[in-house]
Amino acid sequence: MVRMPREKWLGITRDLDWEFSYVDYDAVFPEWISGKGKVPREAWSKWEEPYRVTYPEYVATQREKETGAYSVKAVLQKSKVFEQLDEGWKSVAKQHFGAIALAEDIAQYGELRMARFGLAPAWRNTAVLGALDEARHAQIGLFFPHELIGKDPQYDWAHKAYRTNEWAIIAVRALFDGLMMNPNVVDVSVEIPFTFETGFTNVQFVALAADALESGDINFANMISSIQTDEARHAQQGGATLEILAEHDPRRAQWIIDKSFWISARLFSILSGPAMDYYTPLARREQSYKEFMHEWIAEQFLDQIRDYGLKKPWYWDEFMAGLETCHHALHLGVWYWRPTVWWNPQGGVSPEEREWLNEKYPRWEQQFGRIWDVIIDNINQDRMELTLPETMPWLCNLCHLPIGTAGSPYNDKYPVRSYPLKHNGYRYHFCSRPCRQIWWEDKDTLHDPTVIERLLAGDIQPSTVEGILAWMGLTPDVMGKDAYGYRWAKAYAKQPAAEDRQARTGGLMTGTQERGVHLEQAKDPEPGGQPVPINAKFDNDLMTQLVLVLDTDTVEEAARKVAHHVVGRRIRPRDTSLVLRVDGKPVPSGLTVAEAGIGPLDSVFVGWAE
Amino acid sequence: MNKDVGPVLRMSDDIDAIVAAIMDDNPGKQIRVIDRGAYTRISGEGELRVTRDSIRRHLGRDFEMRQLEGVMSGFAGRIDITSEEVRWQLKPTVEPPAPGASAPSRSMEASA
Repeated sequence: MVRMPREKWLGITRDLDWEFSYVDYDAVFPEWISGKGKVPREAWSKWEEPYRVTYPEYVATQREKETGAYSVKAVLQKSKVFEQLDEGWKSVAKQHFGAIALAEDIAQYGELRMARFGLAPAWRNTAVLGALDEARHAQIGLFFPHELIGKDPQYDWAHKAYRTNEWAIIAVRALFDGLMMNPNVVDVSVEIPFTFETGFTNVQFVALAADALESGDINFANMISSIQTDEARHAQQGGATLEILAEHDPRRAQWIIDKSFWISARLFSILSGPAMDYYTPLARREQSYKEFMHEWIAEQFLDQIRDYGLKKPWYWDEFMAGLETCHHALHLGVWYWRPTVWWNPQGGVSPEEREWLNEKYPRWEQQFGRIWDVIIDNINQDRMELTLPETMPWLCNLCHLPIGTAGSPYNDKYPVRSYPLKHNGYRYHFCSRPCRQIWWEDKDTLHDPTVIERLLAGDIQPSTVEGILAWMGLTPDVMGKDAYGYRWAKAYAKQPAAEDRQARTGGLMTGTQERGVHLEQAKDPEPGGQPVPINAKFDNDLMTQLVLVLDTDTVEEAARKVAHHVVGRRIRPRDTSLVLRVDGKPVPSGLTVAEAGIGPLDSVFVGWAE
Repeated sequence: MNKDVGPVLRMSDDIDAIVAAIMDDNPGKQIRVIDRGAYTRISGEGELRVTRDSIRRHLGRDFEMRQLEGVMSGFAGRIDITSEEVRWQLKPTVEPPAPGASAPSRSMEASA
């Protein structure tokens, strides 16, 4: 049989279209989902995918890829490779499977929406292959961890995570719903294939594969880099759409990239960031997260944006500054709130690891080292209860990540603070100006309350940490623990810091150490007092937290309740009284919370009296 | 602006041959090869190309251009693929040839 080369016939088949005679064009491609906007209908006929693949080629190539991935798995299944993997590294894979496997499933719908409502036949054809790709990714992402469930129930979260209300998965779900399920297909193709798949998945699927292979997880490295070969192809839908959109409506093109880039960057700083800089064993790290982000995002992706005649996003300086800090803050937060995740975070702050962190991130010691020192002392003095949370971080109304983690302690330019916004009489809280701005533009389509809002609405019962964990679906066998059983901290045991001696004698702790400032006050207030949930930050802590005070509390009592969740836990105690500030102004300590005008959802700052 | 373009190849036995083919197909061009174990980034300024003939020659066996996809996890720049050649470049300054017009000289071939 003689076969024509594809160039001879592909031009006809890939772009076959026809005029409708029985129905209106707008009925077939409704604006709300096709989203042509200001772009004239005929402009879409120029849609051209540069990376052309015929269906027979697609089938042959995918078959080879699948054979490759599954045969490696089959061989390794019989080996002892898994047993030899580092516990910290295993968490990278667990986190990835839970967060990504079913996101790939959602991505099928994104692709299928483009396959149906895309505005050019070539686009629709390309998206059909994209949907088949995503089916493969979801399947492989569920199948590979499945055999490991018997060895470790945390792998079950590859399938389970998306069915829960675990806080990190709410953040992931909000991102993907926002990028793939909610928008019209023009927006989808710029948000997912362009921004997400030519930008961020490279970091998680290609760059991370380098760490995986070094760590000996050949199976995982093989799987994710195989997946990314599909992404590299179907991601081209984004460029083809962007080419047309940027010509006819550059403002819209810029906005779609700006917003999807920012939210993706927020999410990846909790996925790839800790994975590369803390969970991957030190000797196995190929590059730091910052270096990988520079390679793939700050250089390669930025070139790509410019190549389409667009500008770098308005918050670029803030994004670049965040590469030094955000993922460190999120890692510390995830570690401290470890029972709330389905993997075992590796503390990753042994003296050697610390040296590496300081070398890669010159301000790490000042911004995060001193917080870790308090934690390390608590571990070595067997005060484990102080290394575990009794409340929740306040979460951003856009990215659902803890407020404060878009900045860092000791950071004048991007400090730990909430960026609030009052709208329709309700106070929303955001981690950053970009999150607030994006929420403002998109607010009519965003309806995902944060865990904090659900807690305050009474959706989570009982409203204790235990109740929250149960509501998130975390059973004791799955709740995250320190991956190394705290052995990374032991090296510090023989060299206690002098200032730590103060820690156990400080007056403040004795006053606040009693357990029982529990969240259940929300439904069972002390007689005479009404609970007031405030968004509180203490001194140079790394995030703001939910703290319940009573309106009858004095300001001094309220300040102590805020301090309870931080002092001796992440900030060293001091023999100094506390000052509570609202909008930067000190509030007299003798007033009650009600008299001071502190209301629910207000931002409050508590610090040491100087 | 950085003008480097080119493929990122995943771990595979064929990487060395493909790198050698790219070297052959871009004479006189400075080509950077960064090996990070699980991936190898190959880049050159402005434009890089590789032909099926060169890959076949270096592999010592047959190769279909579509098979490049199986080892290419990513790439910088824009890509253009025909049965005989792949190009990575920034925004093309000339219009790409119309479909059908770019058919390579070897127009018919036997298929298995």
